[in-house]
Amino acid sequence: MDENGGRHDSGLGNRLVAAAVFVVAAAYTVTGRGYTASFGDVLGPSVFPTMVGIPAMLLSGLIALFPGGRTSWPARHRLFRQTVAVVILVAYAYLLQPLGFPIATGLLIGSVAWLMGGPPLGSVLLGALAAPALYLLFDRVLGLPLDLLGRWFG
Amino acid sequence: METLTLLGQGFAVALTPLNLTLLLIGCFVGTLIGAMPGLGPVNGVAILIPLTFAFGFEPVSSLILLSAVYYGCMYGGRISSILLNIPGDEPAVMTTLDGFPMARRGQASEALAISGVASFIGATVATIGLTLFAPLLARAAIHFGPADYFALYLMAFATIGGLSGIDPRKTLLSALVGLMIATVGLDPSTGIPRFTFGSFHLYDGIEPIVALIGLFAISEVLLLLEKSLAEVKDGLRVKTRLPDFRVIAATLWTTARGSVIGFVAGILPGAGASLGSVMSYSLEKQLKDRDGSFGTGDPRGVAAPEAGNNAASGGALIPMLSLGVPGSGTTAVMLAMLISLNVQPGPLLFERQPELVWGLVASLYLANVMLLILNIPLIGIFTRLLMIPTWSLMPLVVAISFVGVYSISNSTFDLKVMIAFGLLGYLFRKLDISLVPLVLGLLLGIDMENNLRRALSISAGDYSILIESPISIALYALTALLLSVSTYLALRDRRRDRERAGNAAAGSGTP
Repeated sequence: MDENGGRHDSGLGNRLVAAAVFVVAAAYTVTGRGYTASFGDVLGPSVFPTMVGIPAMLLSGLIALFPGGRTSWPARHRLFRQTVAVVILVAYAYLLQPLGFPIATGLLIGSVAWLMGGPPLGSVLLGALAAPALYLLFDRVLGLPLDLLGRWFG
Repeated sequence: METLTLLGQGFAVALTPLNLTLLLIGCFVGTLIGAMPGLGPVNGVAILIPLTFAFGFEPVSSLILLSAVYYGCMYGGRISSILLNIPGDEPAVMTTLDGFPMARRGQASEALAISGVASFIGATVATIGLTLFAPLLARAAIHFGPADYFALYLMAFATIGGLSGIDPRKTLLSALVGLMIATVGLDPSTGIPRFTFGSFHLYDGIEPIVALIGLFAISEVLLLLEKSLAEVKDGLRVKTRLPDFRVIAATLWTTARGSVIGFVAGILPGAGASLGSVMSYSLEKQLKDRDGSFGTGDPRGVAAPEAGNNAASGGALIPMLSLGVPGSGTTAVMLAMLISLNVQPGPLLFERQPELVWGLVASLYLANVMLLILNIPLIGIFTRLLMIPTWSLMPLVVAISFVGVYSISNSTFDLKVMIAFGLLGYLFRKLDISLVPLVLGLLLGIDMENNLRRALSISAGDYSILIESPISIALYALTALLLSVSTYLALRDRRRDRERAGNAAAGSGTP
């Protein structure tokens, strides 16, 4: 257990991420080798990706086999909190245009504040006050066009 | 002499009412961001970039605003280090060692004043150095050919994590991942789409700023969420009283030494401010710590790292401006901004847009004076702002990040890219993989490839052109030298850690 209640692995995190990078780098190299152009410069579009992809495969393979360092993973309830946060962020990306900026942003701010341990009423108030304020600041004062009502209400 | 004339013209640019106002705002906002625990300069500058686009200023004004934020963050970072024992960013870690003990002894005003003065002197020394050396380096760099630039970029990647003592494989891998991401999009010389998976959103490649905000700001939120929320901030109340000036005066030599060391550390590729503060602190400790007072609230232990980190952040601007190769995370972010403003840093920048370079340098001098004023008499304002709880601050940071990214292209696709980079940044940070090489790769990848292809077009495909010019040979030699020094340091650190672990184990049996 570390100070955050998480647990240290014995290099498994390093192995997994390095293996994932290896797979991506391998796919990248194979795809990169396939690019050809009958015109343009001597080198063509495939040499540089190969020059990058092969060392990336070597290094990630090396780390996957001989991981350096251990990772402390968050405790389960905190991992859950992080997952919820990612869901909120992705939901915002999908709901911004349908809901319009003030409503979507108010929900975003309120829910993230609550997730970070804010008191429920305080979080709601923060979202309800900050989102319109940001809208006024960016859309009206700074001239960044933002949707007021969105597709569903507009 | 010529430099002075140019600097004079720079002051003419910096002293326009708009730029002065931006400078003041930047200094204030920067100190604020730096003082907030968990929000360092990289985050601060990254989040503000899209917003400065939205203002539609001239590039020089945007650059002045963000540089003021950058310098301000370096000043502000010390406030939370000293009062809360929470460093705002990496370089501020060293300041907590003696700053927090001083504050606990009731010398918070002195610690803040010492660090303010040390920051001022360090940053001023670095700005003078920038004035003197950046044009020289730019003049030398004008002779760089494509093959030399390729060698330079290689040096930047090979040495970026160099002196940090972290697993060098991870740093290199991070740079390579950045280069991989940089090749996404239409190939600049043939127009063939690469790694776009048929999505036209990716034809222009990944917008670096979108990636940066995700990598730094979003990953920061995820990291915060796994820390204990009940974490009590036992902030120390500071009585606004005048600090004892004799204590400050006693640290001036320390500050001077720290400034010079920090400046040199800042110029080194890939080192940046963290190395500056670490080196100044450890050197001062080795030189002057006769009674073992370092670490228990020695004023010199506050002055040395603060002078070092501010001098290093100024020094880091030299390779960024004159070579286009940033030396630290924040200067990498600033490079991203310049590229987005269609300003290509490098030797030609000094010839083609002297008003931009010298306007920036002049405003850095002014920023230092403003920051000293903001940070000594007005320190009370900032200490009160530290009481803002994280739960109300971070959601706003998230919302502003989203607005900024959305404003770049008005497409929600960029928001998703940003979230993806946030996850990537979180994973990499969990594994101690530095994000700075990734950012460098992402920013310099296209240029690196273009230079390679240009060089080989000149030689009609003969690879020996890469090691033909004396400049590239010198750069490869320097790369080899820096790599061997960093390997030596990494091995030494590892041995030392092992010895310390051994001693601790042996010592714990006999208390």
